Amino acid sequence: MRGPARLAALALVLVPAVVMADRWHFEPPIEVTSVAGGQVFHHLESSGRRNVAVSGGVVAVAWEDDRDGTPRVYLARKGLDDDAFADEQRVSGAGEAYEPSLVALGAGRFALAWEEDGQVHARVVDGPRLGPVFRAANADSVQASLAAAGGTLLLVAAERDGRFPRIHAHRLAVGPDLALTAAEHCPVDGVAPRDEQLYPAAIVLAGRVVVAWEDRRPGHTIIMAASSPAGAVCQFAPAQRISQRDGSGNGMGRNMPYGKGHGVSRVALAAFGSSSAFAAWADKRNFREGYDIWGAPWTAADGFGANERVQDDFGGVAQQWHATAAGHPDGTLVVAWDDERDGSPSVVMSWREDGTWSDDVVLPGAGGPGEQANPSIVLDADGNLHTAWVEREVTGGPTRLRYAFGRARD
Amino acid sequence: MLRVVVLALLLSLAAALQADAPASYPFLSFDEAMAQAAEDGRPVFVYFGRYGCGYCEKTNKEAFSDAQVRERYVQNYVLAYVDAESGRRLRLPSGERTTERELGTRYDAFVTPVFSFLTPDGEVLHRMVGVQRIEDLMDADRKLQALRAGKGAR
Repeated sequence: MRGPARLAALALVLVPAVVMADRWHFEPPIEVTSVAGGQVFHHLESSGRRNVAVSGGVVAVAWEDDRDGTPRVYLARKGLDDDAFADEQRVSGAGEAYEPSLVALGAGRFALAWEEDGQVHARVVDGPRLGPVFRAANADSVQASLAAAGGTLLLVAAERDGRFPRIHAHRLAVGPDLALTAAEHCPVDGVAPRDEQLYPAAIVLAGRVVVAWEDRRPGHTIIMAASSPAGAVCQFAPAQRISQRDGSGNGMGRNMPYGKGHGVSRVALAAFGSSSAFAAWADKRNFREGYDIWGAPWTAADGFGANERVQDDFGGVAQQWHATAAGHPDGTLVVAWDDERDGSPSVVMSWREDGTWSDDVVLPGAGGPGEQANPSIVLDADGNLHTAWVEREVTGGPTRLRYAFGRARD
Repeated sequence: MLRVVVLALLLSLAAALQADAPASYPFLSFDEAMAQAAEDGRPVFVYFGRYGCGYCEKTNKEAFSDAQVRERYVQNYVLAYVDAESGRRLRLPSGERTTERELGTRYDAFVTPVFSFLTPDGEVLHRMVGVQRIEDLMDADRKLQALRAGKGAR
């Protein structure tokens, strides 16, 4: 390990015990599913990284694995006070299913969306009851992501529209038999795509909808976003670039003879406070250091603001991937990601305090030897932090699906 | 009819210009390349690029355009191109399902381009990061061929 990396690793080891105690007290991680080992590989990879949710007194984790040789979507639940997950259910049908997105609908109910045989599917789960499957009208639709708040359930996905995938939004209504129907459906960006639009994420906040996605219109990947006014899901304002809004490149950017600009990857969105949100993504603007975690705040009044680097200075020499974000109405905002600064991937997190990002800390139980990666996080109504991630002892080895509960400290 | 043909040519040209793999090389997807390498025993040369990558474009124009480089690499390696930002799915020889982006994570393609020479089992034999010149690619080929010859002689 090089000198700076060694120093960074040391700093990372030293910081957590002090800082973590201030905000959440984490219980030891537990398994989400006992099905592991051999040729079983779990994936937490939904667009927007929504794979854990809390509804009423129930926490659920949704993932994909291929335990029977075919990729399928599964859901496991447990009561908040239970010691272990149970009630594992297969949610997807007979086809190849990928990338489940999970949100809470309240009172112990959840909604899931996933891709199955190249088409977005969704359904409601209420205890052992599985609602009928909703299929997006577009048979070529992928990368589903769900958002729900205040009685609004929103599904966003990349749907083939001519030559390119285009981000579409569906406002879904839940019937008394748990059936989902599309109450509204529209493209998020009113301008037809000139290149691919991919991997959307969304939030619903006080009736407003904010959607962000990867967009390749300038010849490299940028993050774009659009929002709609309260109560009018399909009246999106014109889409705006939110990553490096001035369009400035770095190094081999737009002013150089080669290439179009740096890369960004996989945006996540979280609502926090009464009227704010934050978009986080992996960003290669400091291209010699690989991806860093950057983001942009959003307010209902001003839209998206200037970009902020979420990770601390010690992360600069290492790679960061897989940003996930969670927020709370009390103003708490947390971003987590996996980070290789200690030599192998660990789940690292930072939260906003008084407008600045905390030091990066390793999620207790999600660091050390082996790989802990692909996190998904959510805050419950009491501000407790629920986290899930994929763990493996060796690169390429079988995976385990892990969960940890962080009780909020007063 | 002529208009249709011209349009088709322009579209294919546009696609070629945006593609980060050098044109005229028989690049395969990673899983296809690994399967082929398992059959014929050649090492795999993996090009980790990304959409709009400037240093990839520079290397394509200034090094992969060389006829001798093309001849050596097409002959000596199974060629794989991986878009390190793509969600395209693939299955590894181990049976694990992954994506091109996650493959980039695993092989530490934190910048692009990264060029990795792999055994058919996925072991990294040699790795080059960033812009490469003609002589860099030729030197790497010589080293890899010497390594193969040495292993074959044992």
